[in-house]
Amino acid sequence: MKRRQFLLGSTAAATTAALLNPRVANAQVASGPDDYRALVCIFLFGGNDSFNMVVPRSAAEHTVYARARQNLAIARDVLLPINPLSSDGAQYGLHPRMPDMARLFDAGRLAVVANVGPLIQPTTKAEVLARAVPLPPQLFSHNDQQDQWSSLKGRTTIDSGWGGRAADALAGSLTTQQLPANVSFFGSNLFQVGQRTQPYVMSNQGAANYIVLTPGAALYAERRAMVQRLLALRGSSPVSRAFAAVNQRALATADRVTTALATVPPLTTIFPSTDLGSQLSMIARLIAARSPLAMRRQVFFAAAGGWDTHDDQNLQQPNLLGNLSASLAAFYSATVELGVAGQVSTFTQSDFGRTLTSNGDGTDHGWGGHQLVLGDAVRGRQIYGTMPRLELGGPDDVDAGRIVPTTSVQQYAATLLKWWGLSDTQVDGAAPGLGAFANRNLGFC
Amino acid sequence: MKKISVKFGLSTAALLLTACGGGSDSSNSSGAPVVTTPPPAITRSEASRFLQQTSFGPTRTSQDRVIELGYARWIDEQIALPATPQLPALLAYGAQPSQGDRIAVWLRAAVTGDDQLRQRMAFALSQILVVSERSNLAGFPDALASYQDLLARNAFSNFRGLIEEVTLHPAMGRYLSMLGNQKPNAALNIRPDENYARELMQLFTIGLAELENDGRAKLDSQGRAIPTYDLDTVKGFAHVFTGWTFGGTPSWYQPNVDHRRPMQSFVDFHDTGSKRLLRGTVLPANQSPQKDLSDALDNIFSHPNVGPFISSQLIQRFVTSNPSPAYVARVVDKFNNNGNGVRGDLAAVVRAILLDDEARNPPANATGKLTEPLIRLTAVWRAFGARAANGEYRGEFLDFALGQGPYRSPSVFNFYKPGYAPPGEMRDAGLVAPELEITNESTAALTANILAIYCYVNNSTATNLKPEDIFLDYSAELPVAADSNALLNRVADKLTGGALSSELRTEALAAIERVPANLPAGRIAEAIYAITTSPEYATLR
Repeated sequence: MKRRQFLLGSTAAATTAALLNPRVANAQVASGPDDYRALVCIFLFGGNDSFNMVVPRSAAEHTVYARARQNLAIARDVLLPINPLSSDGAQYGLHPRMPDMARLFDAGRLAVVANVGPLIQPTTKAEVLARAVPLPPQLFSHNDQQDQWSSLKGRTTIDSGWGGRAADALAGSLTTQQLPANVSFFGSNLFQVGQRTQPYVMSNQGAANYIVLTPGAALYAERRAMVQRLLALRGSSPVSRAFAAVNQRALATADRVTTALATVPPLTTIFPSTDLGSQLSMIARLIAARSPLAMRRQVFFAAAGGWDTHDDQNLQQPNLLGNLSASLAAFYSATVELGVAGQVSTFTQSDFGRTLTSNGDGTDHGWGGHQLVLGDAVRGRQIYGTMPRLELGGPDDVDAGRIVPTTSVQQYAATLLKWWGLSDTQVDGAAPGLGAFANRNLGFC
Repeated sequence: MKKISVKFGLSTAALLLTACGGGSDSSNSSGAPVVTTPPPAITRSEASRFLQQTSFGPTRTSQDRVIELGYARWIDEQIALPATPQLPALLAYGAQPSQGDRIAVWLRAAVTGDDQLRQRMAFALSQILVVSERSNLAGFPDALASYQDLLARNAFSNFRGLIEEVTLHPAMGRYLSMLGNQKPNAALNIRPDENYARELMQLFTIGLAELENDGRAKLDSQGRAIPTYDLDTVKGFAHVFTGWTFGGTPSWYQPNVDHRRPMQSFVDFHDTGSKRLLRGTVLPANQSPQKDLSDALDNIFSHPNVGPFISSQLIQRFVTSNPSPAYVARVVDKFNNNGNGVRGDLAAVVRAILLDDEARNPPANATGKLTEPLIRLTAVWRAFGARAANGEYRGEFLDFALGQGPYRSPSVFNFYKPGYAPPGEMRDAGLVAPELEITNESTAALTANILAIYCYVNNSTATNLKPEDIFLDYSAELPVAADSNALLNRVADKLTGGALSSELRTEALAAIERVPANLPAGRIAEAIYAITTSPEYATLR
């Protein structure tokens, strides 16, 4: 870790810079309610087998589930009960490694959105089998379905994401923000790319400063000016120019972010020492620094990999879900600590759900799946949408337990974007294809 | 790498120099190169550009060799060289080597191996036929070293044979879960694992959509891409790839783990039904596991997409992110027929890629490519004879900064995708730049910092290096360091064969001259940092 700290540049130098900058030094971290809203996307790369995350607990439904899942089924007696305010007749539980999520669900802070997936229009099993409706291309392919979730492109060639388009929509009213509205902690991603705006990428250790271009290094000012001049040259290849643009943004922003973070007192919330936990910890710190950075609307992107459980699912998935639950819970606690639990809404996305059938010790690529939404603005303790029947050959199974979604990603996205502050017109722009679905707001926040 | 304070710029460099008595000029600059091929003679900057495409970075010595032999004969010489074996070097670390040991072995081959083109080709193939430590292979560095040796050994062999060795290697078997995949069991709702079947087609051989020979997508009458396969095809191949586990084991259920020899089949666990493959082919029932596998790979290999799908990506790794369709088609012609009626000859493909006029004499509007971040670093290492006192090249920490490390891809989709288009000018123009997918505000700064550490701190004038610290050798530069122009020429010669834009030359010279002549290491560092962090150097045109 020392190497990483070092590579990121000196925090001591940043602190010095803060002391020398009266505007920053005098900035107060806002603690009361302010006009601030953040969406936090947690992308579960690989395709979460969410039919093992939220599981029927009532006897009849669990029997159907267990018959389909065989050796991958979660036993009924270890499920953590959840008690939705309204019932579809069945009872449900969460995976045994998600006690924090069960607690937050019953406390009204967490909602489940059932069986979400990419769709062009409302679609039934019969329509799929008869090829009677247009479907998103390349169902079951990781990158294509990640792109569907991120872009809502459907059968178009849209090459921006709905987080990015949301930032585009409000760009005119967010001009004083010191950072782009979109900040990623998991590298480049389509979700945050707008038509006009781009995300800023940080690591879970913070913003990376250029160590020899930062106060404290000899000749830093001269060297920095030189680098800026070299970056400003119109290189002869667009590749050079794109490379230069990234470096220019990095150089212009890193010191500002580091300085702002230095004004934030440490959080008392303890995060899991996992990559996801570290990403969410840094997001919490950046939210705490929203005032010196003049941030009013933010979209954060965090992610965890490893969900493509073709193999050893019974060994791997408990750890994945355990980490997700603990990390989400810590992040929620941090937002409470910062007094912004009602201004930060966290939600999951994933490539797809997985097959109900097993390949022996794992599952393959499916379609619809459940998602979690967390925060005080969330109307929690509810399951939104329609729970599928987890029966092979049943009304929702299009092939080997690949479940046709009953809620589209557009509806899911539109609900979140409306809460974030987009008008209905802006929502339509950011979530193309929404008009094909009757319900444009699922009501979970 | 050493712990140092942030104030290591000039003052530290100066401090580090005091105990160093200079050094001998090890560069080999005497005498004019002997050109044995007919004109036109290759200039040093042309040789350097060629070596940026074909090696882990030019050196004075390798530049001289290219100038002496010419491009084609240099390629022939490289193809004839045997692979630097990595598994034996890894096992020299003992019975339980680490992934860090594996990366050190890989970096040593990249930085010091004579078989530069072969190692570059293996690196390119490792980014198409991806396996990664970041998976269920985390505990098995020997599996990855063995797989690396497989790719290096087959770098210039036939793609059909390569794909079979890849399919049967236990690293791939474990990574994409073909290892242990068994025939269906309807009573338990168990059907064959689709993982390898799907990614073999999508990522390793033909891709999702039908391609023209020039790499462009074929379109149907409505202007839409034409899928190469559907879910039933995936299922067909999933059934093919049943019944395989570790080689040399007597038991299916409790196999002896061996990550180095090819997987073996157990007929009792192989599906015996017929299997639907690509383009209407159906394998008959009751074939052996090996016959099914061989027929299935023949079926894939005969698909017209393989040439454009593989060739386009290899061109992207060596030469340019945006080859013209005509360039792709010329290479694909060689893939489809090497001139002797052989399909899939990778040596012929590599020659076609590197000797093509578009590679050697790119048009004015060529984009070139962003040099892969890891190669940007190894190039600096090679240019300045980097080494550590203990002879190792430890680099397990590098990918945090670079976004790229050998067999460290975050998923089977590699570090970046072939079609990644950076937002802005490039996306608007329909251009791609895969390496920019891992070039973001974080990795950009961290990569510059890695370079800074080697320029300013870890160099041969430092007195406090630890045995494992890799350092740049400044002994050739120190004697001329007081002469700003001579110093810049020497540094530029090593990095680019002397090719610098006038703007970069002016800035680098000014950077040198900001440091007094009595601090020679600082002057050298300024020159290298100015050049290697510039967009001009990062882009290979």
